[in-house]
Amino acid sequence: MQNVIAFIEHKHGTIRRSSLEAATQARTLADQLGGKAHAVVAGPGAAQAAETLKKYPLDQIHVSDEDRFIDGAVDAVESVAKAAGPSLVLVGNTMIGRDVGSRFAARADCGINADVVDFKTDGGEVSCVMPKLGGLVITTCKLTGSDYGVAAIRPNVFTAKETSGAAEIVQIASSGKASTVTVEDEIEEAAAELGVEEASVVVSGGRGMGGPEPFTTILKDLAEAFGGAVGASRAAVDAGWVSHGHQVGQTGKTISPQLYIAVGISGAIQHKVGMRTSETIIAINKDANAPIAEFADLLVAGDAFAIVPELTKLVRDAKAAHA
Amino acid sequence: MLNPFDEYAIEAALQLKEKLNDGSTVTIVSMTPASGKEIVRKALAMGADDAVMLSDDAVAGSDLWGTAVALAATIKAQSPDLVITGTQSTDAISGDLPGMLAEKLGFPGLTYARTLEVADGRVRVQRETETGYMTISAALPAVVSVTKSANEPRYPSLKGIMGAKKKEIKQLAAADIGLTVAVGTGGAKAQLTDLATPPARSKGQVVQAPDPAEGAKAIVQFLKERKFL
Repeated sequence: MQNVIAFIEHKHGTIRRSSLEAATQARTLADQLGGKAHAVVAGPGAAQAAETLKKYPLDQIHVSDEDRFIDGAVDAVESVAKAAGPSLVLVGNTMIGRDVGSRFAARADCGINADVVDFKTDGGEVSCVMPKLGGLVITTCKLTGSDYGVAAIRPNVFTAKETSGAAEIVQIASSGKASTVTVEDEIEEAAAELGVEEASVVVSGGRGMGGPEPFTTILKDLAEAFGGAVGASRAAVDAGWVSHGHQVGQTGKTISPQLYIAVGISGAIQHKVGMRTSETIIAINKDANAPIAEFADLLVAGDAFAIVPELTKLVRDAKAAHA
Repeated sequence: MLNPFDEYAIEAALQLKEKLNDGSTVTIVSMTPASGKEIVRKALAMGADDAVMLSDDAVAGSDLWGTAVALAATIKAQSPDLVITGTQSTDAISGDLPGMLAEKLGFPGLTYARTLEVADGRVRVQRETETGYMTISAALPAVVSVTKSANEPRYPSLKGIMGAKKKEIKQLAAADIGLTVAVGTGGAKAQLTDLATPPARSKGQVVQAPDPAEGAKAIVQFLKERKFL
């Protein structure tokens, strides 16, 4: 493989951060492989997204105006890959990214590696490093047996960096195909917010929160003070206090934020596997002997309902002092 | 162990069958070594009608691509109207198989469904998004992956467990599904080259904070040391 193609996920032209990480990483890998860095953006708002992408170190930005949901994106990636020749396709390991990457891999009969946190290149060969079994093992898988390969990168691991890019914008010709899936409507149930997968700081609540209210008050306030996101343990989600999209753990999301603050979470194995690769873990818990003490960098034993608002105030003050 | 995510798929299939009540049947398809028979039996005990097991050394150790190729061939032979999967497995957690199956079967793929209805030859689902959901639909046959919000999987009843012993589990080998490409460990296009154990996280600092203000201060001090503030 020589070239790298970053699939860009966006909503009406606003690009997801994991896709900007993919675009930046595409350059790094293309340089190692001696090829070109491409980006593919499709759907309503693609032209606007392409303007943002111009600030990233890409060679070509391919734009498809077709509004055919996943089908349109897969077709666009396929057409760029065919024209570029042997290439690695990068997608964010998000719902849309996985759909596009997996379908391209099946269509191209190539290998796919999911939840990639590091790459190793050797000549034209690409290997992906992935934590599996909730980070209990680290696997390395080489993409082989095809001119193509797909890597779904874990959000928040690679850096998104603007440069003075000079990418050429290339329009992808319309395929004239109909979509196999009809989008009937799209409903926003929550304000668009940074998801736990992409936030660099996550403040999570567990059973110790006792009800839904802290998730929209004290935890949310602390998360916002950091510009982060609110997460939750399975117990809190199963109790109906917060929606499944916030769940961190085995049956939720696996995340690697720079800072993870666990509030009222005991740290059962099923939660641990979702957040153990966080860079720094702080726990606030009434029980100093909760399992989370074994792997948190700092555990503060006390009343979370009093500590969290006080902490929020101090964080805001510290941030204001630096502003 | 039955993948917990697959239990939601089985439940969704059973609920759909009960709702349609038109003679539709639920078939369990599993690619598993022969030792997986008891897991398939559990799915039958939940209420599925029959099962197909693809067990062959030739498919053992398949990567995602190989798994998609082998499973799609097995599924295709059943001529399904609807294929329902979980969103992911609990070990590899890739979440890529539903999309790959859709592509290999040539069916529309509707992933991350939290509801599922079938009428007039179409399937309609609410697909979860980061901020809500979108309603999407497609003509049958189709592939749908369901999330854990879709339902509450039932426990097999005693009657179900007894009944499952009499249900057919068809055993297939690679030759039976007409595989023309090499899958399994040898055919893998994502080849495992290294397996390592990450350094264990060690126990950190513990601060007793009977005074909440002191607790908050201890955290801020720590955050400053680590350059978060």
